[in-house]
Amino acid sequence: MTPLQILTAAKNGNPAPRIPVFCNLLDQGARELGLSPKDFFGNGEYVADAQLRMQKRYGYDNVWSLHYVGKEAELLGCQEILFADDGAPNVADFVIKNLDDIAKFEIPADITKHPAWQSIADCMTILNSELGATHPLCAYVTASTTLPAILMGMDKWMELFLLGPFDLRDELLRKCSDFFQQQIAGLRKLGAKVLIYSTPFGSPYFLSRKQIETTVMPWMQRDLRPGGTEDIVYYCGMAPFNDVIDLVLDELQIASHYISPLANLAEAKQRINSRGLTCGVIDDIKMIHWSEAQTRAEVKRIIEIGKTGGHFLFGTGVMPLAVPETNIRAMIDAAFEYGRLP
Amino acid sequence: MLEAYIQSYNEAVFETDKQAALDVVNRALADGLSPEDIVFKLVIPAVELMMAFIEKDPDANLAQHFMTAQIAADVTEKMLEKFSNPPEMIGRVIIGAAYGDLHSLGKRIVTGCLKSLMVDVVDLGTNVSAEKFVETAIAEDAQVIAVSAMMVHTATSDRGSLRVRSLLQEQGLEHKIKLAVGGAPYRFDPELYLAVGADAWAPDGVTAAKVIVDLIREVKP
Ligand code: B12
Repeated sequence: MTPLQILTAAKNGNPAPRIPVFCNLLDQGARELGLSPKDFFGNGEYVADAQLRMQKRYGYDNVWSLHYVGKEAELLGCQEILFADDGAPNVADFVIKNLDDIAKFEIPADITKHPAWQSIADCMTILNSELGATHPLCAYVTASTTLPAILMGMDKWMELFLLGPFDLRDELLRKCSDFFQQQIAGLRKLGAKVLIYSTPFGSPYFLSRKQIETTVMPWMQRDLRPGGTEDIVYYCGMAPFNDVIDLVLDELQIASHYISPLANLAEAKQRINSRGLTCGVIDDIKMIHWSEAQTRAEVKRIIEIGKTGGHFLFGTGVMPLAVPETNIRAMIDAAFEYGRLP
Repeated sequence: MLEAYIQSYNEAVFETDKQAALDVVNRALADGLSPEDIVFKLVIPAVELMMAFIEKDPDANLAQHFMTAQIAADVTEKMLEKFSNPPEMIGRVIIGAAYGDLHSLGKRIVTGCLKSLMVDVVDLGTNVSAEKFVETAIAEDAQVIAVSAMMVHTATSDRGSLRVRSLLQEQGLEHKIKLAVGGAPYRFDPELYLAVGADAWAPDGVTAAKVIVDLIREVKP
């Protein structure tokens, strides 16, 4: 079976030789090609090349579209990204500097015509032609309720979100949701098969369940209405969300859930059960100092919790650059070994 | 009378309803309570109650931390202006986001909680160099440097907390100035604070205020 078929089997609970194994190496690409992160992320061909090389070397199932969250801000007018040699790129210029900017803030009529989109398109086109038929191509989209964090800063957004003025908040949310719909349509058109819906404000770590139900849910529904949720993975930026799994299944019909390493995986699996795909995620920040044996033991623990009854995937977060290659290798080997299905 | 105010103030804070909390404070003032009473009998106990609540329920959400900090800091600031004598502050903290880090929310929540506990806070903003942290701590006579980092590389960088530690060491200041850290990576790896040379860390804003006050007490007679 191809990795794409293995993923489909896991989602539907059909027989397969093993569980799917996902590994998200985004920043590692620059190191792979010996480039600075800025040069690397500036060219979609480099990113595709690095994704293909790393996938080949380690053998995991997925590859990634060109992605750092700041890219979304760039598509919306952000002028400065702080690239670091030792870690992920960070938004350094806020498009919305004060509340008056919200009225002036406009979503481009067609973001795929924006110069910043070109490198994404280049990257996806290569990945799609090389692996599109056999491997899941992953892409990332930030939910409308979280996107403002990178447009105005998290503290200003939290304040606007909780304290208003609510007409301004909703105006911003509408614009972000319009952007979301364009972005996800563009990525699907380029061949993205697994869309990571990044929605930390849909996590009880951020807000109460009541706030999620009343304020966040309608926006999530709006974000996702066009195109449906079959290819969507619910992801809260690694924040836990067990308490809203039912809500997400019922109200959004999202079946795939990326469970935080800080959450109780057994409980999550029990809640999702055969209704969808439980993704068991390793704490890759601890992998920085773990030994290979510790890494293996943790992979084993996660997979043993999740794999009984199928409907399970093993994955990572945004792997920090400081994770030693030996641990990546140990993790992947262990995931294939323990992830075998009877 | 005071009891009733305390109860409705606490309810408002728990419901993250800022307006309701401010209404309680205004009614209490109109009723003749002193600004000192509002801070020491209403606000600080509410923050302490939140601490106790969070100790029992580590799942208190970020909105609650944010609003506790926001409301408490706001009310305290307004009341301090009305104090008949300038209050005695517990100590002084220099806070900022680590070098290369532009995340501002964590530091804002911690700052709010500290202010409401009568700690003076000097906020250096985001992307702050280790040199700047230490220089300011010396110039301002602070007892604690608090560094917030939301990403692994900014938490562990040798230009971040590790450098603050080595500067403190080189200048023989370790007995006078303590180093506290916090932010997402520390929550994923609770041992990480040791690897970056910190004296303490905390998983949330309310606990952070408590931990930092303890550090101040360690160095300030
Ligand atoms: C929300 C979120 C996002 C949002 C908004 C980000 C933002 N703030 O601008 C979005 C989806 C846009 C996002 C994007 C990214 N994110 Co993000 N994100 C998160 C998430 C879920 C919460 C972070 C946050 O804002 N928390 C708000 C703060 C206030 O909450 P807190 O940490 O709980 O704060 C409390 C304590 O830490 C403590 N505290 C905080 N500071 C201090 C200081 C002291 C001294 C003390 C004592 C205590 C203390 O008190 C606080 C209040 O209670 C975390 C994972 C998580 N579960 O925490 C990942 C996380 C921070 N993100 C991560 C990453 C990698 C990114 C990206 C770089 C991804 C990418 N490749 O582009 C981008 C960067 C975007 C940018 N800024 O340019 C990683 C970082 C780890 C790493 N690998 O380096 C994390 C940890 C997820 C993970 N485990 O992989 N993210």
